[in-house]
Amino acid sequence: MRLRTVEHGHRLAQRLKLLLIRVVSMRRVPDVVKTLFYRPEFFGRPMCDWTQAVMRGPSPWSVGERELFAAFTSRLNQCLF
Amino acid sequence: MENRTGRYAALTKRLVDSVLATPGHMASDARQAVLARAARLGGRPSSPLSQRERGIGAEDIPPALADYVDKVALHAYTVTDQDLATLKQAGNSDDVLFEATVSAALGAALGRLERGLSALCGEASAPDPLSTLGPHPLTPSPFGRGGTRE
Repeated sequence: MRLRTVEHGHRLAQRLKLLLIRVVSMRRVPDVVKTLFYRPEFFGRPMCDWTQAVMRGPSPWSVGERELFAAFTSRLNQCLF
Repeated sequence: MENRTGRYAALTKRLVDSVLATPGHMASDARQAVLARAARLGGRPSSPLSQRERGIGAEDIPPALADYVDKVALHAYTVTDQDLATLKQAGNSDDVLFEATVSAALGAALGRLERGLSALCGEASAPDPLSTLGPHPLTPSPFGRGGTRE
């Protein structure tokens, strides 16, 4: 993470959630999650609502098909996600 | 922005409004300018500008940020530690850079989304803005087969 405040500057509620994720998963928290949890009212919360509707909401496409679209698009964008 | 992003227009509008209007460290107008610039680079089909967009110009983007915004919008994977270090040395705080990065990424994503939806509707579109810039998207990834880096 290149921005220190996005890596370590979370508020208490988000810090606790990140700690819980780390303990339960026994892995470091992915940067994308840290980004979504940083000042969530600015970006993370509405972005998660959008993603949930698009990726898991009613659709003629299955969840698996939608995940495939997302992975393919990320690959074209040379995105590690 | 309404009616340009398909069935999820309400959620998209909420997302855009949050990024542009939530009190932050970068002026709302500057965030709007960054988002509009990135959307154009992302291929947003030409359309009548909203009243708000008409009042926004490139001068609202701090010059030092403009190149960074273009990089995020067009080929974000080429951003380097040095890019951020230079911007920080120029006096931009982490929060300003966070807001600029999110605004640029969101703008570019919306531009591509709207371009794709226009294509599905059979509308003619301008040439791909990425076609003459940088490596082709299908060039091999420097990170191998994808997945996450630990």
